[in-house]
Amino acid sequence: MTIATGEAETPRRSGPARSGTARRVWEHRADYAYVTPAILVMLIVIAYPIYYTIDLSFYTTPPSLQLKDKIFVGFDNYKAILTSDVFWRVTVNTLIWTLASTILSFTLGFATALALHADFIGRGALRAILIIPWVISAVAASYIWKWIYHSDFGVIGAVLVELGIADRPPNFIDSVGTVLPSLIVVNIWREFPFAMIMMTAGLQTVPDQLLRAAQVDGASAWQRFWHVTFPHLRNVSTVTVLLLAVANFNSFIIPWIMTGGGPSNASHIWITHIYELAFGRQRWGVASAYSVLLFIILMTLGYFYVRALAGGEKKGRGA
Amino acid sequence: MTRFTLGGGAILRGTVVFASIASLVSAPARAEPPVDLSKWSPEYVRSIAGTAEFDTAKECGKVTPLDYKGRLTFWYQGVFEGDPDLLRQYYKDFFETFRKTYPNIQLEDQALTYNDLLDKFRTALLGNAAPMAVRLQILGGTEFASKGYLQPLKPEDVGWSTEDFWPGAMKAVTWDGVTYGIPTNNETMAFIWNADIFKRAGLDPNKAPATWDDVVKYSKQIHDKLGIAGYGLVARKNAGNTPYRFMPQLWGYGGGVFDEASANPTYKQIQLNSAASKRALQASYDMYVRDKSVPVSALTNQQADNQPLFLGGQLGMMISHPSDYNVMLDLQKKATGTDKEKAQTVIDNMRYGLIPTGPDGKRAVVFGGSNIHILKPEYVDGGKVDEPAAKALICFWTSPEWSLKMAYAGSNPGNLNGFKTKWMKERLDSIKFLDVTTSMLPYGIPFPALPQSPEIMNIIVPDMLQNALTGAMTVDQAADDAAKKVEDLMGGGGL
Repeated sequence: MTIATGEAETPRRSGPARSGTARRVWEHRADYAYVTPAILVMLIVIAYPIYYTIDLSFYTTPPSLQLKDKIFVGFDNYKAILTSDVFWRVTVNTLIWTLASTILSFTLGFATALALHADFIGRGALRAILIIPWVISAVAASYIWKWIYHSDFGVIGAVLVELGIADRPPNFIDSVGTVLPSLIVVNIWREFPFAMIMMTAGLQTVPDQLLRAAQVDGASAWQRFWHVTFPHLRNVSTVTVLLLAVANFNSFIIPWIMTGGGPSNASHIWITHIYELAFGRQRWGVASAYSVLLFIILMTLGYFYVRALAGGEKKGRGA
Repeated sequence: MTRFTLGGGAILRGTVVFASIASLVSAPARAEPPVDLSKWSPEYVRSIAGTAEFDTAKECGKVTPLDYKGRLTFWYQGVFEGDPDLLRQYYKDFFETFRKTYPNIQLEDQALTYNDLLDKFRTALLGNAAPMAVRLQILGGTEFASKGYLQPLKPEDVGWSTEDFWPGAMKAVTWDGVTYGIPTNNETMAFIWNADIFKRAGLDPNKAPATWDDVVKYSKQIHDKLGIAGYGLVARKNAGNTPYRFMPQLWGYGGGVFDEASANPTYKQIQLNSAASKRALQASYDMYVRDKSVPVSALTNQQADNQPLFLGGQLGMMISHPSDYNVMLDLQKKATGTDKEKAQTVIDNMRYGLIPTGPDGKRAVVFGGSNIHILKPEYVDGGKVDEPAAKALICFWTSPEWSLKMAYAGSNPGNLNGFKTKWMKERLDSIKFLDVTTSMLPYGIPFPALPQSPEIMNIIVPDMLQNALTGAMTVDQAADDAAKKVEDLMGGGGL
């Protein structure tokens, strides 16, 4: 045992640990060579913009100056954002938008996947139809919904008035109280097929033997779902929810096209507000500070996403 | 059946107003303008139409030889969904003719809409990927000139004279005493109403509301009696339509963002929260909230949304772009069945008049239009600007012929000589109401020539309207909030 210890220590003394690392790098030199181009591309298109955005967040850019003439202001942009009423209002909007869209899209998608899991005639066609909202262009969908919701001559309003249910068309997107829920409905309509596809794929991995065994043992439908099906779907559910959450945090097209963040900022979420600050108002510094905050939140979500994926893989290997 | 409603008094007042504005905003005269601006009236415009001929190729050939070989990248604010088909055809004709006239210039042109151009152009400039030449909305010139992106460029550089262009338009392309562009077109809007709706609502079908207070009253009366929208309010953010429709009201009541409506503006004192400005905002509030007499969709609408409402007989009156008459004709042609007949009835009942005045008789309208500019090479994709090619195109576009044709249905020629061409005579005969919109030119007030203007007009002013109309703030609070935002913006801060 003593000899073994001495043998193990000898190379450490004669050559530093670096040589071990260097040796491992040398042994994997071909692997490093293969990934180098990808790493370079990522440095250019991802790392540099991130660095530049963080750098820019410490400067102010008045409308009369070019970006290269920006003025250093330290943390003033962060201070301005965090003390602004608009920021907190937009943050509340963003949280409502993200949580409601994610939870409801997932729930509806999961329910649809379960409903379509049973074998029946026309199931394939129904699945294909339900995927349409997801594959349709978000821009086209936004314009269509804008007309459906139109406060003066929208389709919903016309039907309700025609049926005598309402005296005048309801105000969906021109009211601060209803605009965000109305946009969330559109977002759920567009996103639930994604959750449906993910959960359908997950459902196909649930072993039939287990479900049959549970049935033979007298488990009810709910017990089979809760104790057999759902545990198998935990990882795919986590991944789906995280992907939806990240997509919703970054969702731009629907609110921007349908309302431009209005009326009165009631449908501004972080990403639309950042866009307006940067491209509409040229507050590149403030917009960058905003982006850095959003980046931190999304990276946190990303961490959980990767952990969920890694957990799933470990379990898979363990099984 | 149409009827012009310009009285002699209105024309006289317009002439006097214009004469005073023109004298105050114009640069020291080096030459006489090609038309007599002091005589401006529908009759005068008709009298000069078709009195001169211009050979565009010959004139521009003196600036850039017709056999010149080069390459030009060019972005421009082109036609959009609210423009008539006639204008699309003229845009097509322009580029075809230019390519025939200068066959060795490789022109790479890209059309963008009003709402997209500024965003895209600003982004391209940050990456030194701008085009060599650009045609921008009138608001944009000062911003980019002040930032040093544009090359000095005056009408003389492309064969024309500074006096060939409206003094107010030249002001919009001037920064710190240097001219950075050339106006391509200039227009003012007018007021449009449906005589049949007026009649059914118990109003005089051939008389426009005289004041903005009348607009509020008429709008309520139309809504209460007929259950349709009275006035076509527009309050969407980030849309040029909103300031073009609200600023005449703001100025009419005696308000303003600064003192831009005064004879000699300094842009020093913010007036958005003045008593007069608040009265203007209150008028919009009264129509939208108190009387509910305007489209509910005003907060997300643009003018392109009001056009079908008007044509469908669901809207009584609105501020109208000169091209709206042709747009209505286009829409009517595309309608089918009974919709076609209804649309024709509305067109027959269309009336144009001057924009109403404020309580003190002040009449105002936005002096709109577009300018064309050449970029500095360091901001251009490839780092080079082909100046002769750029000047050839600019000479072409700002020529009497093409500045008229490219503004045929929707605007007026930037080059005043355009008013003398045979095409001006032709369009006066074929486009109804052109006299009326042209007659508003003397009342035109340019947006403040400041780099901050796009943000003020496209974001702060619409925000103020939305805050008041949604009840998020009271009228007073909304006006004060907007004034504070302008103050912060001018001070270089604010969120």
